[in-house]
Amino acid sequence: MKMVTQIAFANMKYHKSRNILIGIAMILTTLLLFLVPSVGMGIINGQFAVVNELYPTWHALYRSVDQDTADRLAVHREIGRYGLRSDAGVVPVAGANISMMYLDHDGLFLYKMDLTEGTLPQKENEIAVSKGILDELGISGEIGSTVKIPYQVYRDGGLDFTQEKQFVITGFLPDTEASIEARQYVAIVSKEFLFQEVPKDQIAYRFLFQIDGNESSTTDQIEENIKLIASQFDIPENDTNINTEYLAANYVDPAFVPGIAGIMLVIVIAGMITIYSIYYITMNDSIKEYGKLKAIGTTKRQLRQIVLRESYCVALFAVPIGLLLGTVLVKAVMRLMAEYTSDGNIMMETMRVMIDNNEFAMYHGWIYLLTVAIVLVTICLSLLRPMRIAAKVSEIEAIRYQEGTKKSRKNRKSRQQFSVPFLARINLAGSKRKNIITICSMGITGTFLMVVATVLSCANPVESANSSILGQYRVMVESEAGNKEHPEREWSEIVKNNPLSDDLKDRILAIDGVDKVECFTAVTVDADELLWSEQIRGIPESYAKELEDGIIEGSVTYEELKSGDKAVIDKNLLYWHPGLSIGDKLMMTIQDGDNSYQKEIEIAAIGDYRHGFTVYEYFLMAKAGADSLITNNGSREFEIYADKQYDETVEQEISSVISGTSDLLNLSSWQNEYETWKSALSMTNAACYSFLAILGAISIMNLINTMVHSLHARRKEIGMMQAVGMTNRQLIQMLQLEGLCYTLGTLIISVGLGSILGYPVYLWAKGNGMFNISQYHYPVAAAVLVTVIMVLVQMILAFALGSSVKKESLIERIRFSE
Amino acid sequence: MSIILEVKDLVKHYKMGSETVKAVDHTNLSVERGKFTAIVGRSGSGKSTLLHLLGGLDRPDSGKVIIEDKDIYSLGNDMLAKFRRKKIGFIFQDFNLIPSLTVWENVVLPMGLDGRKINEKEVLDILNHIDLAQKKDAMPNTLSGGQKQRTAIARALASKPAIILADEPTGNLDSQTELEVMALLKNCVKEFGQTLVMITHDETVAQMADEIILIEDGKVVNHS
Repeated sequence: MKMVTQIAFANMKYHKSRNILIGIAMILTTLLLFLVPSVGMGIINGQFAVVNELYPTWHALYRSVDQDTADRLAVHREIGRYGLRSDAGVVPVAGANISMMYLDHDGLFLYKMDLTEGTLPQKENEIAVSKGILDELGISGEIGSTVKIPYQVYRDGGLDFTQEKQFVITGFLPDTEASIEARQYVAIVSKEFLFQEVPKDQIAYRFLFQIDGNESSTTDQIEENIKLIASQFDIPENDTNINTEYLAANYVDPAFVPGIAGIMLVIVIAGMITIYSIYYITMNDSIKEYGKLKAIGTTKRQLRQIVLRESYCVALFAVPIGLLLGTVLVKAVMRLMAEYTSDGNIMMETMRVMIDNNEFAMYHGWIYLLTVAIVLVTICLSLLRPMRIAAKVSEIEAIRYQEGTKKSRKNRKSRQQFSVPFLARINLAGSKRKNIITICSMGITGTFLMVVATVLSCANPVESANSSILGQYRVMVESEAGNKEHPEREWSEIVKNNPLSDDLKDRILAIDGVDKVECFTAVTVDADELLWSEQIRGIPESYAKELEDGIIEGSVTYEELKSGDKAVIDKNLLYWHPGLSIGDKLMMTIQDGDNSYQKEIEIAAIGDYRHGFTVYEYFLMAKAGADSLITNNGSREFEIYADKQYDETVEQEISSVISGTSDLLNLSSWQNEYETWKSALSMTNAACYSFLAILGAISIMNLINTMVHSLHARRKEIGMMQAVGMTNRQLIQMLQLEGLCYTLGTLIISVGLGSILGYPVYLWAKGNGMFNISQYHYPVAAAVLVTVIMVLVQMILAFALGSSVKKESLIERIRFSE
Repeated sequence: MSIILEVKDLVKHYKMGSETVKAVDHTNLSVERGKFTAIVGRSGSGKSTLLHLLGGLDRPDSGKVIIEDKDIYSLGNDMLAKFRRKKIGFIFQDFNLIPSLTVWENVVLPMGLDGRKINEKEVLDILNHIDLAQKKDAMPNTLSGGQKQRTAIARALASKPAIILADEPTGNLDSQTELEVMALLKNCVKEFGQTLVMITHDETVAQMADEIILIEDGKVVNHS
């Protein structure tokens, strides 16, 4: 072993108490540095596995592609695996939805479908079906059986008359519980059948494909490629469907890496401050030694190496322990996260099962290596200053150096009367710099903790639910723009025969327990100044106050908004259209069913409203004003107020009323929103607070180190005080008062600065719609918890240190010298 | 004259490697109130251990130390500490001043720990007497060896203890200062009516005492 390493190793053993604390800080830092990316990657891999289990694997599909385009796409260099699908028709069974399609072998793979037995149909009279289809048709059959199946093919833009044909079953597709429940099935026919039944010029394929590339591609890159290829082949944007769930789960989200890196940076900083602080505070013990080494010819570089290698020797023990702990905890943490959020969430439920069965990789060699590298860099950075101090030591000064000779050089006015608190104060004043370093280092972590706690305490599931839904239940019309397959879902179509009719309102009002139904309306508008179509939202009169109170700039009354000439815009609209301002008069094209006309509408004010109030429709008018713009029924949603916050019977009755009316209506409830937020927030809280607790523990190593070292350095002094009559009780009291100073200092910084910084961070979180935060709540629980933990740790520490002093006899301590 | 300190069959043995050192071995002695007693002996004779036991800084294996009719080892640790600050004044060879406290604060430390209100006039009298009044706000590391030891003497006197125990108080001083300090110590003891038990290996210093106790191998071999 090299001499430098040998000295470093001996130093490690000699400065045992310091290195145990540095070791604990390293273990915890390693643990966090390992856990954060491991859990992050685990969730991504888990989602990948779950999505692969649940979602098709194509990256995108192009609709309405003809044979020629499909052939040319197939040889495109960016396109990897591809498949073809063409909808031939349906099998008409009342109440069931059985589509009949041509799907090639690769298409089958990309849809994650597989035959349970048999092969895909080749001849025009062959078919692959599922058991469910045969049951729906009331027939039975095996592979090779000939069965008579009715069908309607797509021809001339619609479904043709029903025909019947004898098909030979060549294969069976599986049925899922969900498909049986929804009575939705797929039958696969051959290309020959398609060619025979559908006129060639009317055959349109869906071209399913995966982009060639590796797993490190980002979703943005892949999406860009998909759009680029579409533009090369003149495929309109509406005919491009990107499988975002699959891409998000399988490829790196560009926001993921900076997010994880940010959290890891916080850990590195906390670890660095702690290791630096522990080393710096105990540095005096080693100064004399460094001076001696320098006197006998050790170079500056070697001294720096001695300091660094001493900590690397500690890391040799600490890092593997941290990694081992991390390895044990990753699975437990992931399982806990999946279990917390699995309530009613099929993705997380599937993930939990997959974690239990070890179905995806949770451990990655590169994360182990990355963690070790980051820990070593953290140690190196934290020791830069101690290394510089060691290298700069003057031989003569160091040899003469004795603890205590530097301090208290100046005379000061004596205190006439005397007490134990005074002794504590004198000691604290004697090592101001070290105390400030300790307090600041703990204070920084505490401040971070309080800021995060502020955001978490503002994230209240009740308020988040209140913010996202106005009444106890909401029935909303689901409209969809630009979906050519479902033109009936266009808002302009819906208003012509709006399911949210007065009749429906009356039927809902008639339900026992329902007190009130408020109707909000929407009018689709376009303007040159707008990037896309927006909706003018008609606010009922009972919300006049909320509408007026929400105005943050400009002024307008609810009465004035009844004219239909003026509107309030939500401030979120400015994010997309920063050029809009109060007084602007927009020439708007008002869509009223099939008709449209132009009208000038003035922006009268800017407001700030909860998401439930605007439902992302950012032009607001009085309902009378919005209604006056169109002749059709523009009802957008019913906000239903009930006598109880939640009543399952009421929900079921509303559900049955709307399900008999239209499949465009969607029912949501306050309770449902509340449960969703509660589950998501409890998970977030648990994860954040566990993270902060470990960060706090790293920081507390500082307090332990400072107090242990302060006691060690004053062993003789305390012995002398005890010789002249200080009792053990007084000693513990003195240590407690000193500890209290660290506690108070840390709390003033953490709670004070944390509270001050927490507010702007709350405003930022609110502005960004994080957790639907709507109101500021001071994190009382976190402040109390931090205070209690700090006071307890300090008291226990003072007591333990006071007791440890007793282990050494008074005589030994009086005789002790550095 | 009344007996202020009595030692009965005091034993303190300790292990040093495989050997048992009989630091104090069935020792008996008594000290009269107001007397200056010197305990002399060669290095390693056990005199320091005896002084520590007399002052309640250590605990014996057996035997009794009775100060003002109180068996000090019948007391628990905290009570013993309280007894020390009330009844015993210490003067150590290496002064044992608290470096972070001024001269004044070092002097009043035992009284402060005892929660007593400090009689500033009395303390100032003592400081004047030992010529340290000018230095009362000085920090220990700004003092000379003699001044440090005078501070330690002042500390021992200020709390008006029943007995002052001095462990080679002049051991770290040059010969000129040694004489000054000894003269001062003897003078003060007389002036303030104190009892002084002092350890020394210096024959000249011992000759200044009213009584001399000679210790060898942990035993009192001569009491004159």
